[in-house]
Amino acid sequence: MSKKTIKNKTKIERNLEKAIMTKIITGSINMKPRWFFVLGSASMIIGLVASSIGAIFLMNLLFFSLRQHGPMGEWRLQLMMESFPWWVLLLAIGGIVSGIYLLKKYDFSYKKNFTLITGVFIIALILAAFLINLTGINDLWSRQGPMRGFYQRYSPFSRQDLSIPTYRGKMQNKSRNFTF
Amino acid sequence: MRELKNLSDEKIVEIVRNKDKNFYAEIIHRYEKKLLRYALYLINDEHLATDAVQEGFIKAYVNLHSFNAKMKFSSWLYRIVHNQAINLVYKNKQHSLFEENLELDSGIDLEDDLIKKELRAHLHNCINQIPILYKEPLTLYFLEEKSYEEISDILRLPIGTIGTRINRAKHLVKKICQKKQ
Repeated sequence: MSKKTIKNKTKIERNLEKAIMTKIITGSINMKPRWFFVLGSASMIIGLVASSIGAIFLMNLLFFSLRQHGPMGEWRLQLMMESFPWWVLLLAIGGIVSGIYLLKKYDFSYKKNFTLITGVFIIALILAAFLINLTGINDLWSRQGPMRGFYQRYSPFSRQDLSIPTYRGKMQNKSRNFTF
Repeated sequence: MRELKNLSDEKIVEIVRNKDKNFYAEIIHRYEKKLLRYALYLINDEHLATDAVQEGFIKAYVNLHSFNAKMKFSSWLYRIVHNQAINLVYKNKQHSLFEENLELDSGIDLEDDLIKKELRAHLHNCINQIPILYKEPLTLYFLEEKSYEEISDILRLPIGTIGTRINRAKHLVKKICQKKQ
């Protein structure tokens, strides 16, 4: 390395230190407060939990909707496709994607096999949704609680447009006198 | 002043965060040479490398409260400067035009010491010709003498991937240099 290059580099280094320290001392750059990062971490955890719960709930709603429509006879399938809550499916996928994005933000994610972490995360969500369906908790939710209306919308038996045989006339208790 | 020299990076960071921001000058003093050299290897332009390092130091100061004192400060700082440098590389489109999946000769394994000697002797030009994907870990391992774990923290890649990339980079450098000779 020539003397000129060494001199030039030393000059750059000195200038660098001076330029940065001047900015710090004059206050033109300031440290972001600790609470800013605490808030960031907290919202990240809340976001991850919320998107996971949301994805589980929405996937469970899909299981519930499929179960309510029964076995897949051709016309039943068509009926199901027409009334299938596709937006719920999209939202569930959105929840999973945002969950994975937030997981990737954590420090541990690059140290482990992230494909495996993603796989386990998705399987855990689907399994949780399936377990809720299997234990019948969603049936309970469809009858009572704050999510009742939501579940009932995807239950074909509560839909007004589906004809369930009902007697619309007035019941009369008349004695029938048959004559031959 | 002598005491300051004996303090660890993490301790100095604690002082900068809570007591005296002037101590940040010691951090700059400790790392500017190393970071300038590293950025220069990535960017190949002295002015851009200086910009990357300056921006890196500023970003590190602004976000100093986000640094986890349980981790290694040098890895955190390298990570910030690395990101700045990579952004500049892509902005200026100076990255290597070599294909990433270049066919490599397998079965050729040279001793690390030999590779180190070769690198120090005349491989600067060869390193500049390998894709940035391999240049990053190779530079950190052989020139900055970082461990696999530190490189993993800087590049945010699993240790296994670092090992594979360094191995491939060694073969690539060897191949390019042999062609030149």
